Amino acid sequence: MSRDSNITKIIGEENLKKLRATKCLLIGAGGIGSELLKDLILMEFGEIHLVDLDTIDLSNLNRQFLFRQRDIKQPKSTTAVKAVQGFNNSKLVPYEGNIMDTSQFPLHWFGEFDIIFNALDNLAARRYVNKMSQFLSIPLLESGTSGFDGYMQPIIPNETECFDCTKKETPKTFPVCTIRSTPSQPIHCIVWAKNFLFAQLFAADVAVNNDSENKDWGTTDEDEIKRIKQETNELQELQDIILSGDTTLIPNIIEKIFIHDIEKLLRIENLWKTRTRPTPLNSSQITTDLIDRNLDLSALWPIQDQIQKFSSITSKLMKRMKEEDNHIEFDKDDEDTLEFVSTAANIRSQIFNIPLKSVFDIKQIAGNIIPAIATTNAIIAGLSSLVSLRVLSLLDFAKITKPTDLNMVFTAKASNISQNRYLSNPTLAKPNCNCPVCSKVVRGVMNIQSDMFKHLKLKDLIITLSEKYNFDTEELSILDTTGQRLLSDFDFDSLDEKTLEEIKVLPGSVILVTDETEDNNGMGLKPLELYIESRKIDSRKTSDIELPDIKIPFVKMTTAEEEHNESSTQETPVLQTNEVITLDMDDNDKDIKKRKLSDESSEATQNKKSKQEEDDIEIIEEDDIIELD
Amino acid sequence: MSQVNQTGKLTADEIALYDRQIRLWGLAAQANMRSAKVLLINIGSIGTEISKNIVLSGIGNLCVLDNHIVREEDLGCQFFLEKKDVGKLKVDVCSPKIKDLNPRVNLTVDSDSLANKDELFFKQFDLIVATELRKDQITELNRISRKLNISLYVTGSNGLFSYIFVDLIEFVSEEEKLKTGRTTLTGEISSNRTIIEVDTRVDDDDPKKIFETIKTRNSYKPFDDMLQTATLEGKLTKRQVKRVNSIVPLTISYLTKIPSSVEELHKNTLSTCDKLGIQSSTLKDEYIQQFYKQANVEFAPVAAIIGGAVAQDVINILGKRQSPLNNFIVFDGITLEMPIYEL
Repeated sequence: MSRDSNITKIIGEENLKKLRATKCLLIGAGGIGSELLKDLILMEFGEIHLVDLDTIDLSNLNRQFLFRQRDIKQPKSTTAVKAVQGFNNSKLVPYEGNIMDTSQFPLHWFGEFDIIFNALDNLAARRYVNKMSQFLSIPLLESGTSGFDGYMQPIIPNETECFDCTKKETPKTFPVCTIRSTPSQPIHCIVWAKNFLFAQLFAADVAVNNDSENKDWGTTDEDEIKRIKQETNELQELQDIILSGDTTLIPNIIEKIFIHDIEKLLRIENLWKTRTRPTPLNSSQITTDLIDRNLDLSALWPIQDQIQKFSSITSKLMKRMKEEDNHIEFDKDDEDTLEFVSTAANIRSQIFNIPLKSVFDIKQIAGNIIPAIATTNAIIAGLSSLVSLRVLSLLDFAKITKPTDLNMVFTAKASNISQNRYLSNPTLAKPNCNCPVCSKVVRGVMNIQSDMFKHLKLKDLIITLSEKYNFDTEELSILDTTGQRLLSDFDFDSLDEKTLEEIKVLPGSVILVTDETEDNNGMGLKPLELYIESRKIDSRKTSDIELPDIKIPFVKMTTAEEEHNESSTQETPVLQTNEVITLDMDDNDKDIKKRKLSDESSEATQNKKSKQEEDDIEIIEEDDIIELD
Repeated sequence: MSQVNQTGKLTADEIALYDRQIRLWGLAAQANMRSAKVLLINIGSIGTEISKNIVLSGIGNLCVLDNHIVREEDLGCQFFLEKKDVGKLKVDVCSPKIKDLNPRVNLTVDSDSLANKDELFFKQFDLIVATELRKDQITELNRISRKLNISLYVTGSNGLFSYIFVDLIEFVSEEEKLKTGRTTLTGEISSNRTIIEVDTRVDDDDPKKIFETIKTRNSYKPFDDMLQTATLEGKLTKRQVKRVNSIVPLTISYLTKIPSSVEELHKNTLSTCDKLGIQSSTLKDEYIQQFYKQANVEFAPVAAIIGGAVAQDVINILGKRQSPLNNFIVFDGITLEMPIYEL
């Protein structure tokens, strides 16, 4: 028997031919990506294009089974492709790059694929690929894991829920005063040490808090606000010590932040009416010993060791500042920065009677590390590759009559949701009619001749659009959705005379065109979202702008206010302002699938009924993160 | 780096390597895994997945027992194998590949036949994972594993369908969960599981969070007993009984007796339905046809799912966290349903 005899028994010869002619895009060569690559190869997919921007790290090796110690620091995509050569039978094309880079991966490039497998680790890229799949109507198999938890969701554009049809968890934020004045949990001290102290001392070209008046202080106590502002100014002095390189001044830093600042806090009596008062360090605890010693990173160090380590690591970082252009970013894998943040956080915890943490534990919190294991990734990747057979209609005996017959999957047993189901497998839901990504707009691709971006004016575009779709030019608004900028509307026309190039409407840009005309019943034309592609110069084409032939439906218009509410819940840009202190999510997003628990005892696991129930109960709490590897 | 450290604390290198999973199950569980001795019987598609997962996770000692020769068709479902390996002993080909996954593993391979192995051989192990065996082989292996008090996992492929049988004899698991309004009580919670102890613990960081530590005693049955006495009566509601996946009776029927025709499979499965206490009308014809056609067929994505689930449970019981599987699981690769039954 031959290599393909097993798959032939399952899908038949005809379908195997189709599978061999299938071209798939696999985005991510990490935990799920390595597993998917293996599964797709063994299933005999014709072509697999693999994209990843990352390089291999030691901590990947517990699950990313295609990589070895010798591969550390090598690019994931090309290394993975080399690693599978022994058992590979497909055409493999690796790419090093960010999938959101429109010059490397323009929309028409996505258009080459029959199916897309997401194996991503961040929310922004998941959203982006979801949008591309919606533009092109290409099926997308979305997946993610966090520790024992995992999910896999097929997305069939226009037919089933898209990635953005359900709300995703936003980064956790804390009021300023909790972080700066009244911490009560280790995380408050860690955020203080990383986002405030470290950032101010070593990454100081980031602007010092500009105290806007409407800031969320988390308090109305004037004294306290005054104190926070003053403390910020005094940090400038500490920064000067750091830049001076004079390590004999390190005790002054400790004295300022762990004694004087705490004493000032203690003077604000209001803060301590209901809270335990902090105890500043004793000046006799400050050390001049700057020797860097190796300590066990998973142990809890006594306070004296914390202070000594803080001193020695500050001295080390001061020396590094000179060599590194007076700027060091916090990086969880940069041990000096991690130990600085850990010891500073622990000393502060000690002062506020909060339990201390090991460097190992603080690394997870400060670095937003999400646990990841081989088994969950293998299961989720197996499910994703398996369901692709039904998505591509290759299982003749299990044909789907409609896309909502397909199943999505969540881990149930491993996630402690159920003792009598290993997986929970609800059928897919229809698109959420309020989803701003898949339901509230019509989509299309606009082709502009490549040499015309520097000649065509926004006004020309407005006229062409209005002619094609019968828009009322006066009521038309155009928004650049990539940069979230208004380009034109009824009382803003100052860009109309600018060229597309000048206003940065370029290949890869996405614009949202809305005719705001409403009839008496509040009905109007659905907004139109256009992806802009550049077309080669072609003398046979008469128009510079080619617009898609779409019939724009007449729908109930949303008011500006509804729109606003939506954008604040659905769009979740990490806060740009200084209003609240945000744990940054750059490494791994904390994206949660809020799903319900179907009632176990009453066995409501099946289809429609449970679907209903599933929409009522949230099973995952904010601390449990479904992640993405 | 490749030095195998069998005793004492984990080294800093090990902690860095296993960072992302230690954050999940802790240092103690990781150290337990390092001292574990696991026997894997047969390295087919599921066996390959299991070996990959447990070796990556840091299992200390693994022995692979398999006397098969690499066949052409194995290349389509086992990623350790290459075209040039056809005709060689599987264990010889897989051994360097497994070792390369994690040089810390203490790996031995054995190409002897299972039938030649005596109690003395099995005695070396804490845990046995057996794949792709026939009923008589499973029965004999289970007799020995019971006698020697060794945990046993048995699993096999039938194309898009698969099963897992677990016999941990008796196993006390400890789990921690956030306390809800309802306090967990001790006592029997299902036919095979009894809660024997409940403690509470206040979270270090947040005094408002209270955790319950629940000790559960899991009891198990030998494979033969399960096949003979398996019933769902009294374990499921009427609604659930109507919805039992055809793969459940089909798998049990096939494990009990390998049929010589699809008609025989149909007939045997109807009587299995009777014994299980489920209506024969739940049996879907296309499932009978496909099950017969796909019996014993190995398929990579299904192997990844089942291999992942078995390896996860092995890791859980070695690390003594989360309640173990109990005791019969089937997977339907069409609907992605994967129910767990206490049979």
